[in-house]
Formats: sequence, C-alpha cells, structure tokens
Amino acid sequence: TPLTPPLPSVERAPVVGAGDQNLFTSIYPTLSQQLPREPMEWRRSYGRAPKMIHLESNFVQFKEELLPKEGNKALLTFPFLHIYWTECCDTEVYKATVKDDLTKWQNVLKAHSSVDWLIVVVENDAKKKNKTNILPRTSIVDKIRNDFCNKQSDRCVVLNDPLKDSSRTQESWNAFLTKLRTLLLMSFTKNLGKFEDDMRTLREKRTEPGWSFCEYFMVQEELAFVFEMLQQFEDALVQYDELDALFSQYVVNFGAGDGANWLTFFCQPVKSWNGLTLRKPIDMEKRELIQRQEATLLDLRSYLFARQCTLLLFLQRPWEVAQRALELLHSCVQELKLLEVSVPPGALDCWVFLSCLEVLQRIEGCCDRAQIDSNIAHTVGLWSYATEKLKSLGYLCGLVSEKGPNSEDLNRTVDLLAGLGAERPETANTAQSPYKKLKEALSSVEAFEKHYLDLSHATIEMYTSIGRIRSAKFVGKDLAEFYMKKKSPQKAETYLQGALKNYLAEGWALPITHTRKQLAECQKHLGQIENYLQTSSLLASDHHLTEEERKYFCQEILNFASEQTDSPGHKVVLPMHSFAHLRDLRFTPSNAVVHVGGVLSVEITVCSQMPVPVHMDQIAISVHFSIEKNSYRKTAEWLTKHKTSNGIINFPMETSPFPASQNSLPALELYEMFERSPSDNSLNTTGIICKNVHMLLRRQESSTALDTPSGVALDDGAPVLKCCGVTLEPGANTITFRTQAKEPGTYTLRQLCASAGPVCFVLPHLYPLAQYDVYSQEPQLHVEPLADSLLAGIPQKVKFTVTTGHYTVKNGDSLQLSNVEAMLILCHAENKAVIYSNTREKASDASLRVQSSDKVTSISLPAAPAYHMIEFELEVLSLPSAPAAGGEGESTMLGMTEAQRKPKDTQKADHCMATTDHKVSIECPWSIYSTVIALTFSVPFRTTHAVLSAGTRKYIQVCVQNLSELDFRLSDSDLVDTGDSTDLQLLPLNTKSQQHICSRQSVFFVWELTWTREPPPSLRGRFSMEFRPASEERLSISLKPYTYEFQVENFFTLYTVKAEILPPAGTELCRTGSLCALEVSITRLSDLLEVDRDEALTESDEYFSTKLMYEVVDNSSNWAVCGKSSGVISMPVVAQATHRVHMEVMPLFAGYLPLPDVRLFKYLPHHSAHSSQLDADSWIENDSLSVDKHVDDQLDSSSIKSRGSVHSAASSEHKGLPMPRLQALPPGQVFNSSTGMQILVIPSKDDHVLEVSVT
Amino acid sequence: MAVCVAVIAKENYPLYIRSVPTENELKFHYMVHTSLDVVDEKISAMGKALVDQRELYLGLLYPTEDYKKRYGYVTNSKVKFVMVVDSSNTALRDNEIRSMFRKLHNSYTDVMCNPFYNPGDRIQSSRAFDSMVTSMMIQVC
Amino acid sequence: MADEALFLLLHNEMVSGVYKSAEQGEVENGRCITKLENMGFRVGQGLIERFTKDTARFKDELDIMKFICKDFWTTVFKKQIDNLRTNHQGIYVLQDNKFRLLTQMSAGKQYLEHASKYLAFTCGLIRGGLSNLGIKSIVTAEVSSMPACKFQVMIQKS
Repeated sequence: TPLTPPLPSVERAPVVGAGDQNLFTSIYPTLSQQLPREPMEWRRSYGRAPKMIHLESNFVQFKEELLPKEGNKALLTFPFLHIYWTECCDTEVYKATVKDDLTKWQNVLKAHSSVDWLIVVVENDAKKKNKTNILPRTSIVDKIRNDFCNKQSDRCVVLNDPLKDSSRTQESWNAFLTKLRTLLLMSFTKNLGKFEDDMRTLREKRTEPGWSFCEYFMVQEELAFVFEMLQQFEDALVQYDELDALFSQYVVNFGAGDGANWLTFFCQPVKSWNGLTLRKPIDMEKRELIQRQEATLLDLRSYLFARQCTLLLFLQRPWEVAQRALELLHSCVQELKLLEVSVPPGALDCWVFLSCLEVLQRIEGCCDRAQIDSNIAHTVGLWSYATEKLKSLGYLCGLVSEKGPNSEDLNRTVDLLAGLGAERPETANTAQSPYKKLKEALSSVEAFEKHYLDLSHATIEMYTSIGRIRSAKFVGKDLAEFYMKKKSPQKAETYLQGALKNYLAEGWALPITHTRKQLAECQKHLGQIENYLQTSSLLASDHHLTEEERKYFCQEILNFASEQTDSPGHKVVLPMHSFAHLRDLRFTPSNAVVHVGGVLSVEITVCSQMPVPVHMDQIAISVHFSIEKNSYRKTAEWLTKHKTSNGIINFPMETSPFPASQNSLPALELYEMFERSPSDNSLNTTGIICKNVHMLLRRQESSTALDTPSGVALDDGAPVLKCCGVTLEPGANTITFRTQAKEPGTYTLRQLCASAGPVCFVLPHLYPLAQYDVYSQEPQLHVEPLADSLLAGIPQKVKFTVTTGHYTVKNGDSLQLSNVEAMLILCHAENKAVIYSNTREKASDASLRVQSSDKVTSISLPAAPAYHMIEFELEVLSLPSAPAAGGEGESTMLGMTEAQRKPKDTQKADHCMATTDHKVSIECPWSIYSTVIALTFSVPFRTTHAVLSAGTRKYIQVCVQNLSELDFRLSDSDLVDTGDSTDLQLLPLNTKSQQHICSRQSVFFVWELTWTREPPPSLRGRFSMEFRPASEERLSISLKPYTYEFQVENFFTLYTVKAEILPPAGTELCRTGSLCALEVSITRLSDLLEVDRDEALTESDEYFSTKLMYEVVDNSSNWAVCGKSSGVISMPVVAQATHRVHMEVMPLFAGYLPLPDVRLFKYLPHHSAHSSQLDADSWIENDSLSVDKHVDDQLDSSSIKSRGSVHSAASSEHKGLPMPRLQALPPGQVFNSSTGMQILVIPSKDDHVLEVSVT
Repeated sequence: MAVCVAVIAKENYPLYIRSVPTENELKFHYMVHTSLDVVDEKISAMGKALVDQRELYLGLLYPTEDYKKRYGYVTNSKVKFVMVVDSSNTALRDNEIRSMFRKLHNSYTDVMCNPFYNPGDRIQSSRAFDSMVTSMMIQVC
Repeated sequence: MADEALFLLLHNEMVSGVYKSAEQGEVENGRCITKLENMGFRVGQGLIERFTKDTARFKDELDIMKFICKDFWTTVFKKQIDNLRTNHQGIYVLQDNKFRLLTQMSAGKQYLEHASKYLAFTCGLIRGGLSNLGIKSIVTAEVSSMPACKFQVMIQKS
C-alpha cells in the first residue's frame, strides 16, 4: 500500500525485567524480536469480537518508581508484566543470594499489588560443565516453585540455552514465548478492562460541576493509544469519534441554552489560526495545551482531527479524511458562531484556507496521482471551499479592487498574518506549504490574483472532470465577478455566457435574470453594443426584475436609439421576440385576394414586452413577390373561391422558458388496424397502429429553440408595407398597413421589423405563412338561360353577365347582337341592369337600352368601373319548328295492339325533347373579335298520328304530348290535307276549341276521313295548333302556331276477318275444359286493285287469287288451340269472296273471355317451280316458331323490307331449301270485326278444374 | 426547519421553489441548482446499488458552512426534491428529513393527479401544495 | 384503484362517449383512437406517480417494464401480464390472455372490429406511465381473438 506503515506514534507497553541484568540484556534482543512473531487471539470483555493481535513490548529494567502509584490514570506506561531472570543452577548460590533477591522483588510487587509476574530460569549447559556437584536439573526450578509459586507453578519457566541454536533451544523458546504472550495478554485484558470501567464512571460524572472535558479527553485518549499500540486502529478511532461527538453535543446544547461551565473556557477569543497540522503523528504542543486545559476550540478540534486523520490513514481511508475534514471545517465555523467566540475578521477564512490545503496536501502525500484523480469527487469540496475562502480574504484585504489595498486593508492583512504565527518546522522546507501559499497570496494584488486564479481554475477543472457542471459554472460566476472587479470584462464574459447557457438550457429563471444582468454590465464595458442592447431588451421584458430595473434597461435601448441617429448607415438588428410578440395578423378583404389597383389592408396585433410606451420610427413588413406559376391560380373565380380561413392568422407564443421535452415531440398518429384473412374476407386481427413511428423514434436533440438567433439577417431592399411613427404601449397594440395592389401575383409577408433610430427589432420569419394574392382579369361576357332549358315557341329569359375585369365600361359602350331569323330578341320598353362589385355586393341599378334593327340588336351598356359585373336579362323567342319525325306514321286498327304499343311509346317519349340550336355572334366593346354564343331551344311537344278503322270507315288520330315542365293552353287545332287531290275530306270530331295540357300530359285530336272515289289517294296531313303557357293570360307578342306534318297511304280496308266461338253441340254455353268450335271467316271487300299486284297474285283463266295466311294467337292464354293454329289459304281476288276456317279451342278459365286473336298475312311463295308443291301447312307447322317471330317483328312496326331480310336470314339458317315469305298487310287494309268480342264460359262441374279456375 | 423547498422536473427545470426568507430567493435558487450535481451523482450511483438500498431518499447532499444542510430525494418519475434545512438550533435526524420528504412526495402526487394541473407545468396554483410546504417551513421538526 | 366494475363501466362509457361525439362531428372521426389514447396518457402519468410512491427506485428499463407488467397491471386490471417479451433493443411485447376490458365483451371474434376502441385508452395508460418514469415510448396494440391481446411498446432512445 502507498500508505506509510503504521509507525508507532506511541511507545509500546513496558515489560519490566528484574534479576540477573547481564542475562536479561543478553537475551533482550532475541526476546523483543521473537515476541511479536506469533499472533495471539484476544478475547475481550463486553462481548466485543475476539481479535488476533501481535504483542509488542518494550522491555525495561526494574526500578521501583516504575511501579504505578495509587489512582494511576496512565495506561501506556503501566508495567504489564514483571519478569525475574536467573541462571542460577547451584543450590548454594540459590540459598545464598537468589532466594532473598526474589523475595524482596516479590514483596515490592505485592506492595504495589501488581500480580502479573514471571520467573525465568535459564539453563546453560556450558556453565554446568565446570560445576562439581551437579544437582538434578529440575532441582532449582522446583525449589523456586516451592518457595514462590504456590499453586501457580506455571509462573516459573525454564529457558534452555537461549543463545544456542539447537532444536532443544527452539522448543524451550517457543514454550517460553507462548507462556509470555498468554500472561501479557491476560494482563492487558485485565488492566484494560479495569481502565475502561474507570473511564466510564468518569464519563458518567460529566454532569457534576467539577468535571473537566480535558481530563476526560486525556483518559479516553490513553485508551486510544493502547489500541493504537495494539494496532487496533478502528478501536482507537472510535475513542476519538466518541470524544468528538461528546464535544459537539456539548456545543449544540450550549447553543440550546444549558452550557457546561468548562465549555466557557473554549470560548476564549481566537488568537491563532494556523490551520490543521496533520504531518506529525501527535501534535504534542496542542496535546499539552489540552492537558493544561489551555486549548482553544480550534486547538482542540485541530488536535482531535489530526489524530482521527492519522488513524484513518493507517486504515487506508484517505477519502474519508477529506470528507470529514470538510464537515469539521464547517462545524468549527458554526461552533465558533454558536459559542459567540470573538474571531478577528478573516481569521477563520485563513484557518479554513490553511486547513483545506493541509488536508489536501496530506492526502496527496500518501496517495498516487491516479488514486487522487479517481477520487476528485471527495476532494473537490475542499478545493472549492479553499477558493471561496481565499476569495473572501482577497475582498477583505482589498486585493480585488483595481487600485489595490488601502492602509486599513494593509493593517488588517498584517493582523491576519500575525495570527498565523511562524511556520511550523515540519513544513518549513516544503515549497508549496499552505502557510507559504497564504502568506504569498496576501502579500500583493498580483500574487493574490495568481493564487486565486490557480485555485479557481483547478476547482472548475475538477468539477467539470467529474461532471458537476453546475457547480463549475457557479465557481465560474465568482470568477467572473472577480474579473469584473478587476475591470477585465472580456475575461468575465466567457464565464457569464457559459453559466447563462447552462441556466437557459435548464430553464432556471432567476439565475438567468441575475446572470443576464451581470452579462449586460459586462457587455456594456466591452462596448458590444448589439449584444448589450439585446441583453437589455431581454431584461427589459423580464418580469423577474423590478419595474425600475426593467425601465432602466428599456431606457438604455431608447437612449442608444436617440443618440445614434447621426450615423444612418449602420443598423443594430435585434431579434424581435425579446421586445415584442406578434400575436395575430388579419387581412381585409378577409380572403386576402385583391385585383390590380384594389386596396388591401393588413392589421397586426403586437404585444409589447416593454415596461413603458416605446416610440418606433417605423414598423415594416417586408414582402416577397412571386408570379404564380399556375396561371389558373390567378383567375378571379379561383381566388374568390379559395378562402384563407377568415383572414386571421394567429402566431404561436414563442417557446416557454423551460424546455418541456414532452410537448416538443410530434403527436402520435394512431389509427385502427384491420387485418382480414386473404381467403374469406373475414376479420383476422384488429389493433392500433402508429403511422409516424419513424418520426418519433428519430433521436431529437433537446433545447434547440432556446439559444436566441444571434445573426438575424435583415432583408433590405425587399418591398415593404410600413407604418411610421408608431408608439407601442405595453401590451397589445394593433397596427394597420394599407397597400394598393399593383403587379398581379402572390405576395408573402416575410419579416416584421420595428425600428427606432438605428435599432431595429426583427422577426426574421413570419410563420405560419401569411400571403395575399393580386390578380388581373380579362373582361368577359356570359350568356345563360334562366331556366335550365329554353323552350321553343314561347318567350324565354336569358341572363347576360358582363364581367368588366380590368376594362372600364364607358357610356355608349354596347353589345351588338347579330340577329338570327329563327330566333328573335324581344325588346321591351325598358330593361334593368344591375351592377355588382367584384365581391358580389350590389353596386347600382341602371336601365339599359335595347334597339333592334333587322340585322342587329344593340344593347347599350351602363357605365361600370373595372372589376365589376353587369347583369341583365333579355327575352328571346325561337320558332316552334316541328320535330324531324317525318312522314311514316303508325296507323292501326281500332283498339288492336294499342295495349301493347302504349308502354313502348311512353318510354320513348319521356326523354328526348327535340331541340334546335341558334348561334348568335356578339360584338363586345373591349375586343375586336366577336363572341359567339349558342342557345339551345327544345320543342315542348311530341306529336304522333295514327289511322283508326271501323269497318271501311277511317279516322285520323293526332296525339300531342307535352314533354316540358310547363302547362299550356292549346287552341285552334286544325288538320288539313296538303295533298293535291280534293277528294279527301277531314271532318274534326274535336268538341273543345280550347284545351289545357299539363306537363307530361297528352291530348288526342281525331278527324274522320271520308272520300268519294275508290280507292282513296294517300293523305298528306298537316296538323297545327295555337299554344301559349297556361301561366300567362295574355302575351305581349303573338306566337307562331305549332305544326306537325305526316302522310298515310293504303289505308282503306281490303279484308274483314270475323271469328266466332260456338259452344259444343247440345249445350248453350261453353264450359271450361270442353272443346268448342272456332269459326273464322275471311271476306274480300274489293275487286283487284293496284295494291294487289305482287308475287302472291296468281292468275288462272281470268281469275285471280292471292295467298293469305291466317293465324290464331291467344296471348292472354285463355284458350288452348287444338290442332293447327294457322294455315295458308288461297283467296280469290273478288269482292265478297269469303273463306271459312274451322278450328277447335278449349277455354281454360271461366268467365267472359275475349276471343283469341286472328291475324292475317300476305303469303308470298318463293320464285321456284316446286315452291307450290311443298306442303305449306306442314312446313308452317314445324316452323311456326319462325312465323311467330315475324309476327313480333311486325308488331314492332319496323319496315317491311327489314322484316323480309330478317326472315330470309332466319330461313337460310333453317334449311337449305328456298323459303316463302310473309308480309303484313298495310295498316288499315285488314279489319277484324270481332276484336274486343267476349264469350261467356261457365265453369265445368268438375271440381278440380273449378279450383283451377279459382286460382 | 426547512428554509427552502424545491421540486425539480426530470429535465432539471424548477417546477416549484419556495424559500424563507424570501429576500435572498436568488441565493437559494443557485444553491438548489448546484446541488443538482450531487443529486445526479447519487442517482447514477444508486442505479448500481442493491434493491434495498435503492430508496427514494438520497440523504444529505452536502454540508455547508452556514447551518443550511441540503437534502435530496428523487421520485421514481425522476422528479427531484431538494430541501434546504436550517440546522442551527436543531440537529435533524435522518428519519425526520425522510418523513418531511414523504409528505412532500404525497402532496406532489396529489398535484399530479389534479385535473387542473398539466404535467410538466410549474406548480403555481395549488393551494394544497403551498400550504403543505408552508407547514414544513414553519414547523420545527 | 377504484372498484374495478366501476372502472370497467366508466371506461365503456368513455369509449362510447368519444365515438358519439365523433358522430356529431365534434371530434373528427379518425382521431377518436388518438383522443382515447391521450386520455389514457394523462391517467397513466397520474397513476404511475401514485403507484411508484412507495416502491424502491428502479434499476433499469427492464425493471420498469416488469413493474408495469406486475404491480401496475395488477392494480389496474386485477391480474398480471401473462407474458413479457423483449428484443433487448427497446421493444417489449406485453401479452394479456384475458384482458380485463375485453373479457365481458366477447370470447372469440365477435365484435372484433370494435376491439381496438377498447385498447386505445390502455395504450395511452402504458405510454403515460412510462413517460412519467422518463421513458418515451410508442404503444400499439393487437387483438386476434378476444379477450386475449398484445401491447407492443417501442422505446424512443433519446
């Protein structure tokens, strides 16, 4: 160990030797050296743990005065064991001398009641040789045992030839030593025990008046010494700690009031303060002082600690020394205060300073560098304490002021040095002794500075090295203060900055404020104007300062501002946040959009942090202009649509003074998670996931926003919005900037800058972004119908919108509409125009004049400023031209197949109003090009016609369907034949002259068609009617009638078909399930006509016949047709020729059943020889399907031609052989007289059939 | 008796500091701030210690020349309590200090569970806490 | 901790309350989870402050996680976490085979689509607790068959 081995600070316990001195002296060296060899187990009283100890002893000559007197307190000097030495081997000699001598010795011992003794008989063969009468070896020993050791024969031992080197000698030595140790230990134990008891009793007496701490101290220390002697340093230390505690307790009690009178002695004024002395094992002078009861508190404490220190070092606990030292020094200072001991100013500082260094040096003395470095944590306290003390001494002795100490300071210094006395011899020749250091430090300003700086730096360094940054900074601040005193601010600054940074980082408001104040002063001295002003502004806005202080710093800024006006060039740019806080900003118009030349105002709310109103020369917002890339972005409608909130932008308060780490994190983005199994889409797992893990897991360095932006760039030259001569009151102020928009584009507000003289406070970035847009717009004309669609034939309103944009409409500007004949513009006496501002507020009304010449209609616009809108309406009228639906109308026989057609028709009718477009070109005053607008009118009506037959009489039916949303009143409906023949007459069967037709309604008109000559020619009909909206009673203008043209041909009847069902024979009524006869008779009404000339016609000897095919179809499936349902007949082409067909049908239901439908077709055989041979009927049979198909086709009223093609197509599919064709007879040529007839069928008796009929 | 009671956040900024007499408040702020060094040291040292030694009470931080002893305590939520105790007329036992800290911790917990307190903010408006601290400052333990 | 029945019912009401207010457009719908989680966070902060008042100081991160799984869970949910796994790189998976807030809702896949609503608060609870113990973390959850569920804790090293 680096520790110095336990040097015996106390002499060893004596063992007194009597008897043969020469012998004793001869053996002594071996003995004293042999004794400690073997350790002995020491059993102790009071249940203290046994210990192995090495006994060492100090062998002394017997002298009577050595023996303890009565009431002896000393333990160290106490003779623990008495040994009588003899080598007598001759009985005579024994009798003559030795016996008496022994007796005398014994008596003395008895007299002093010391019972620990031993008699050693040394046997020596050499001596024996020259003896004549040899007694048995043991005889002498026996004699002595008899004479002296009654009962305790072990008190006499033999030692053989101690100086020889033989095995025998060894054995006897060992035996002897063991004995010796045992006895010594016994004695120790006994005497120590006794001593301790005495000591306790003495301590119990401490409340008694005469009791003296110092005496007691000596006693307990005695014990400590013994333990130390026995190398039981722990126990020794305990003794001192007890004394320490006892004393401290007394002092505390004294403070509490009950003072022991002995304590008053320690209260004598402090006269010397020469620190601790730890280099000597025992500081005898101090000990004597204590013994003589002359020690001062400091003496006692110093001595006590010195001893503790020594022992701790023996125990190799140097760091505990350091720690205890610090406590000691503190408690000494406290105790002196408590005991109200008068201490010269600075004396204690000296004492503490010296002591600190002493302790440190002592520790350094016994540890190597590495150990010291690794234990700085223990020692650094002493360093900083020393530094502190030296500093206060410096201030006390006027060594810190720049002009140095005055006489009074010097006197004080002298007194202090006097108190140190002369340097102690043990340190006299060590260069760096605390004493020398202090003397030197106090000797001169420079010396002091050097020492103080050394200490401070050392301390700071140590603190930093063990990570006690805060403490380091704190010492640094002291240092800074020192430098400020020494008028060297540049040195001070770094320390202040360092400390400030630390406080800011950890958000300690008061230290921040305080340090800033110091920094401000420092910067002022350094003439760092900007920094000074910045710090000042921070302080001026600091609520931890008094109103006065804040005002002062605010004034500092203002003063500077007012003084420096002469040098305009140079600006002092300071960050805004310390001076004022931009709270919000609002645009008017609120959507922050203006047209070129428009006025925009920006209103900001600024909270001034200053304690007093501050006048600003100007407040400006610098603006960044950018042309919008996306041109659409500039258009008025977009801009007016997109709204930047309500035009108010709020700016967050800057970060709170303390670094609140949790809210600096971005918020978690948590979402529900649903994981479905790929197979069936069932839910497998749900849960919660975080979408921005990557953001959050990224390490973020804390407290970045804290340090103020030092270099705030002021963007000069940028366009600005400014307000001049504003006075900012403390708290909220509103400032309004107005600007007239020039260049179109986007303007971003960049910096807010408030300047007074050369000082300007700048908010470098406005965030969130504040922007406004300026746009310019081309003039435009919009024309759109008021209703969703324009209707032809009646007056319709059309809305004109002129967006003036950048064009200003002057008086006399007009729109020139080129007319279209199909559409005319109705100009009334006066039309109103309304002028709106850009933001849709109504600006004014104006009348506008519309004149119409044959070619052009000119609308003279009212004068309107730029970026306004002129709106007006005009009425237009388009001719109600009939739909393109031309000639081919559908004529049907009365009632027949109506039912089936209706749904199809109405479906078609619902949508598709026929429309007509009109293009109008308009000349606008702002452009050389004419605008072309298209207006689409839709015809409100859809008209269809039909030919109805009754036998040979014919009727024309016209159906007018109102597709529009309006209701109309119809009148003067008329149908005329525009064909050349005069033969046809149309006589109307329409009763009402006026008709009301509601939206989506249909009205039917019917005319009977008569003729004189057979056959009648084809009819070219033109239908026309007046109509007007039902809503308007009377219209200013007369409207054109609605017309509809069509043509019908071959409408006269050629055949009549008559069907009839007869109940079974013998019954007068048909029954369900019983067969009935169906009689069909087909009659030809006219002779051969032009129409008949076709392939079907066959001529055989002047006699014409044509082929027809009939077919019975029962769509309502009331009837079951039995046997052939169709057949081909050959019809003679002669008037009144009749053909009858008989069939059997069975009614399936009871009740009045309509007769099955009988249809007739022209049957055109294929051109081929065998065509006639093939059995048509049989063929029809198996191809009835295809026939039905034709029927359907026909019902679809698609053209004959197509039907043929379809059929041929079908046929060619069917079989290779050529196929006949069917052809529907032209509408009206066949009249089925039994259409609509019904026959009564009664249920059969048969029950289950009845049921059928019921269901 | 306590002359200064401080509650310091995880991040080492003061949540609450009160001291008597109020005039040298600043001094106490510095005092508490520097003592954080030792608190940190003790905490990091404690990390290695055995469970039974890992108590929240950190004991005496360091002695000072004037009678003001600083004691430390750290909650599991890393919030530090520092208490400066004037021991001029009374030597306080560790247990007494400990119990004072317990009281402090209890009412800090109440503050944490107070709906009107937002964790991490300074403790300004809690009367209950204030009065508790006051009691620790006037009472002579 | 209050009577658990009370806690469970209160929790249910809270969840439905938040979602109702979402339907009335007071909270934008996606944020419900976050809202519940934030509630949990604050509660966690408070709870942990109470629960750790009388415990010994924690040795390390793992020590803290154990506390959450044992003491904290027991106090809140009347049972311990059944299984705690970690990759020793700041990811912990806490498995509760019979999670208190789900047990009375269903055993299996019924209402599975709603389960996460009832985990958000607890996620926050954990995160709040940890953050108050000085551990920044992200807590997510997962259920595949109620009432068992997993909470994953990702520690943010900073």
